[in-house]
Amino acid sequence: MTVLAGLVAPGFLSSGPVRVALALGGIVSLVSAPVGVLTVVRRQSFAGHALGDIGATGGAGAFLLGVSALWGFLASSAIAVGAFHVAGSRERRSRDIATGIVLGAALGVSALFLYLDANSTSTTGATMTVLFGSLFVVPPGTVPLVAGLGAVALVAVLVCFRPLLLAAVHPDVAAARGVRVRRVELGYLVALAVAVALSAMTIGAVLSTALLVGPSGAALRVTRRPGSAVALAAALGVVATFAGVLLAYDSYAWPPAQHGWPASFFVVVLLFVADLAAGLLAGRGRRRSARRRAG
Amino acid sequence: MRRAGGRWRRAAGVRSLGLALVVVAMVATATAAATATATATATATATAAAAATGQRRSGGRGAGEGGGRIAVVAAENEYGDVVAAVGGRAVSVTSVLRNPSVDPHTYETSVRVAQQVAAAGLVVQNGLGYDSFLSRIEAASPSRSRQVIDVATLLHLPSSTRNPHLWYAPGTMPAVAAAVARALSHLDPGHAALFRHNVAAFDATLEPWRRAMATLRHRFAGAPVAATEPVADDLVAAAGLRMVTPWAFQADVMNGVDPSPQLVQALQDELTHHRVRALLYNVQVTDPLTTSLLALARRSHVPTVAVYETMPSPGFHYGSWMVAETHALEVAIANGRSTGHL
Repeated sequence: MTVLAGLVAPGFLSSGPVRVALALGGIVSLVSAPVGVLTVVRRQSFAGHALGDIGATGGAGAFLLGVSALWGFLASSAIAVGAFHVAGSRERRSRDIATGIVLGAALGVSALFLYLDANSTSTTGATMTVLFGSLFVVPPGTVPLVAGLGAVALVAVLVCFRPLLLAAVHPDVAAARGVRVRRVELGYLVALAVAVALSAMTIGAVLSTALLVGPSGAALRVTRRPGSAVALAAALGVVATFAGVLLAYDSYAWPPAQHGWPASFFVVVLLFVADLAAGLLAGRGRRRSARRRAG
Repeated sequence: MRRAGGRWRRAAGVRSLGLALVVVAMVATATAAATATATATATATATAAAAATGQRRSGGRGAGEGGGRIAVVAAENEYGDVVAAVGGRAVSVTSVLRNPSVDPHTYETSVRVAQQVAAAGLVVQNGLGYDSFLSRIEAASPSRSRQVIDVATLLHLPSSTRNPHLWYAPGTMPAVAAAVARALSHLDPGHAALFRHNVAAFDATLEPWRRAMATLRHRFAGAPVAATEPVADDLVAAAGLRMVTPWAFQADVMNGVDPSPQLVQALQDELTHHRVRALLYNVQVTDPLTTSLLALARRSHVPTVAVYETMPSPGFHYGSWMVAETHALEVAIANGRSTGHL
């Protein structure tokens, strides 16, 4: 308890910007957990990352139009997700190539938008905000909107969770049971678009993939049961974002004094550490079971 | 075999359709956004042109010629205004930054500006890294005859000076006007008497501002004010008001990085607890943070005052702009009235 009191700087929980950051981080982690597990199991991490980068185009465009970056992130990931759905083929290789081509074009348009932001509108910090997130300066009025979007995404992904998991792991069984993959996939894609947009709001467009697949990847190394994996991923995400917010708050006292380090840095590093730890844990478990088999 | 081939072709067709859709959507958004921006810029340019009465706006290649006039490039239009006042008919002034919706800190230059600088007899720039794009252009087109006035150097300010918005300090423009007259007399000795006369006339136009500042100081010396950016901090200090917003917050917003939550909270508290009489904000930078702070100020009944990185035009010269700014601040503190645009 005293350790916690020492970690938590005075005024942390009563700070308005911190409360908004915690709310956003918590919602994003809860939505990203089931979406992320499906993404990892379906081996679509690269598409998830691409969605984040494509989100940068929308975020930069939102600054040009003078609307909240959230709408830009949402619009561009929705368009991209729709395109993926239309273009979606069973072959991963061609899917990755198509993703890569769209990704390059989208980042090119982002470059144009960010240039126009700097030279014709008055948005000095647009590049940092869009690419790396501005967790502590999200307007408080955004939270109810984020919560609503998160709820919609959670419902969508939970409805299609089991059939999609089955289709990803045992396509033949799914086909025999009459699962219409393309149709249930839509629920997942809606949730994916929302999860990516919310992650982009939290830690920036280029880092959003860390929140999307980071916790789920680590969880799936430790457990193979989907339910436990989702729960563990949600817990990991919440811990990483909350601890990231706390460290960013504490870093106010670190050099350069009074400026604080970006929250996205801490969140991403913590997720990386969690993934390494999960890898070590999983490795030890494998060695132990191998010894048991040998002996 | 044939059926498999057909399926492959169909799948490929669907894929290309998807790709084409994405590309079309992106091009459409890009065009829409670019058109919106182009319209905004065109309007700003048109108003700037309308404002530039008496000063010939030279485009492209007109800079060096113009019937014996000295071509002058000013980084910001507030300096351009002073040069036009001092040079009169003997100069042809081009101000690089005059669009009130562009933040000079992040401006990226174009080939046209490089051509204008290459042909200019005199360049006036703020310095302190505020308009370093001009220094880069000057280095790229060396000229022995070109005079350069770097205002920060002129005022003997160390490079560690943290607030680069020099034009809000009352002492700046008189010094700039004198230096411009010296440089122009060097380039065009025949008009030296005219330049000297014009400097005196320009200094006289600042008299109403000095009076307004004296009134403000007399009525409200020590009154606490807040700011999102250090744009008008020099004016606040000269008027004897007290800037309570931490420098780190102002610097972070100016530099386009996020202030830490402690600082955001500090500014929010200044507003909600009415610890300040007015909030000064930079109209040329509006991001989610400053937008929400302005809304908070409105809800907390703290008046807001717009300040500028470039001279708002049309309708203003440097002196009248500063008078309007000082009055806006006084009205805010005295009557709680906000000024959104001068």
